[in-house]
Amino acid sequence: MREPAASQRGTARFFGAATLLVTVFLLGGRDAHGAGGWLIPPQQAPERYGNLLINRTSEAHGQKPAAFSHWLHRAKYTCRVCHFELYFAMQTNSTEITEEKNRNGEYCGACHNGKIAFGHTEENCAKCHSGEIATGSKEFGRLAFYPENPFGNGVDWMAALDMGKIKPVQTILGEFQPVKYNKEIVLEAEWERIPPAVFSHEAHNRWLDCSICHPDIFNIKKKTTLHFEMQYILEGKFCGACHLSVAFPLDDCRRCHPKMGQP
Amino acid sequence: MMRRIVMVLVAVLALHSPCFAQTFGVKKRTPRPEEFGNVLMNNFAESSRTPIAPVVFKHWVHRTKYTCRLCHVDIGFSMNANGTQVHEADNEGGMYCGTCHNGKEAFGPRGKDEAGKAVENCSRCHSSGKAVEFKYVFAKTIEGYPKSRFGNRVDWMAAEEKGLFKLKDQLEGLSIKRKDLKIPVDESIKSKEIGMPEIIFSHAKHSVWNGCELCHPDLFGVEKGKTKYTMQDIFDGKFCGACHGSVAFSNLDCQLCHLKDVQ
Repeated sequence: MREPAASQRGTARFFGAATLLVTVFLLGGRDAHGAGGWLIPPQQAPERYGNLLINRTSEAHGQKPAAFSHWLHRAKYTCRVCHFELYFAMQTNSTEITEEKNRNGEYCGACHNGKIAFGHTEENCAKCHSGEIATGSKEFGRLAFYPENPFGNGVDWMAALDMGKIKPVQTILGEFQPVKYNKEIVLEAEWERIPPAVFSHEAHNRWLDCSICHPDIFNIKKKTTLHFEMQYILEGKFCGACHLSVAFPLDDCRRCHPKMGQP
Repeated sequence: MMRRIVMVLVAVLALHSPCFAQTFGVKKRTPRPEEFGNVLMNNFAESSRTPIAPVVFKHWVHRTKYTCRLCHVDIGFSMNANGTQVHEADNEGGMYCGTCHNGKEAFGPRGKDEAGKAVENCSRCHSSGKAVEFKYVFAKTIEGYPKSRFGNRVDWMAAEEKGLFKLKDQLEGLSIKRKDLKIPVDESIKSKEIGMPEIIFSHAKHSVWNGCELCHPDLFGVEKGKTKYTMQDIFDGKFCGACHGSVAFSNLDCQLCHLKDVQ
């Protein structure tokens, strides 16, 4: 057999090393996200869940960051009012809020104008610009009257809505009729022994608008949403856009995978 | 050979790496009302031998004066941003922007200020990244116009119907005035998705701005039921999505088209 030319030998050696590298990399990747490797964020105190500090420009302008509590607002307004009608982004500090825009009736100022809710006047600055993420914790006690849930705010918001304990407003822009689309979707899990997730459009429609999720977060064509996997949900993508930080957290496995743990 | 292997390796690693995973499963930024429909034109501006700032084209200024049809049919503007490949020489020769921006119909590249002094108007269009004092300011232009929820937050159709502006559909020396065709009746389009409200499509409303020829036969065939498309196609900028989503009312607003409840 003829000896291969030096350049060919070099290529073969390089190719071998490269294959090994790729294999290790791929296996490593699987391992990091694989079985037993889910990193569900630790539970927070119920009165902190869904709270955030908005500090896009506050401190740069010599003001303390604004504290925002989802639990305070969601009892009065549905998600769609702020995240759809008022242009609030779904990631902290990515909404282009300025004090001037608020005072002109945009963003927070759409309600915080002294008419619907307390306004942007001097005596009220510290109500939001407290720099303290637990602002409002004193009022949290009133949530004790809502149906319980072991996770998140300790409140089953969906049941509270069903029971009429809360009556969140669905629009602040006039008339609104939700789209009557109630299809339930059964999402088969990719892993063996993991029961399917059951998704209810009806439950989501009561808080959201179609376009909060479609088409950015989820494609609407069946089975075309790429990378829709638990590992990415845990990174805040897909369901994780809400169900990590505001809506019931991912600790509550059975609420999506109802047959989890059953034989 | 080596180069090919390296390229394949880079592709495999890039596909697997988490940094590739940044752009899916999350909500995109919603453009602000004054940005909606603005197009950055930069085919040649920055890459030319005499670089200049890209053009910021504002649909909201132009649509208070001219129909969509005039520019996108008679003048020949593409429906894709940067699809027209406009050169400065085209404009100087009276094509594309230069059809109107010639100092007669609208300001030309060179003009005179109020005092009669010669001025260059370059930066009135080539404005990207510059602080330009524009003749038309968004908030002022839309003052008193009927409001809508999304896009420019203006109900352009209602504004036109109310006569708040008069649209020019023909240009002397360019357009050929022919007798109007009879406008077909409204269409009710069934959704393939069970439970999704039907779409009511109005030829009458569309033809005010578009005539027939902006949509037919390129975007939509003319034989009933022959053009097959899905909502995902529309979200991807095809069919209705050629305008709705980027210029005409945003396709966030499901119920503007999906009007008729089904049982």
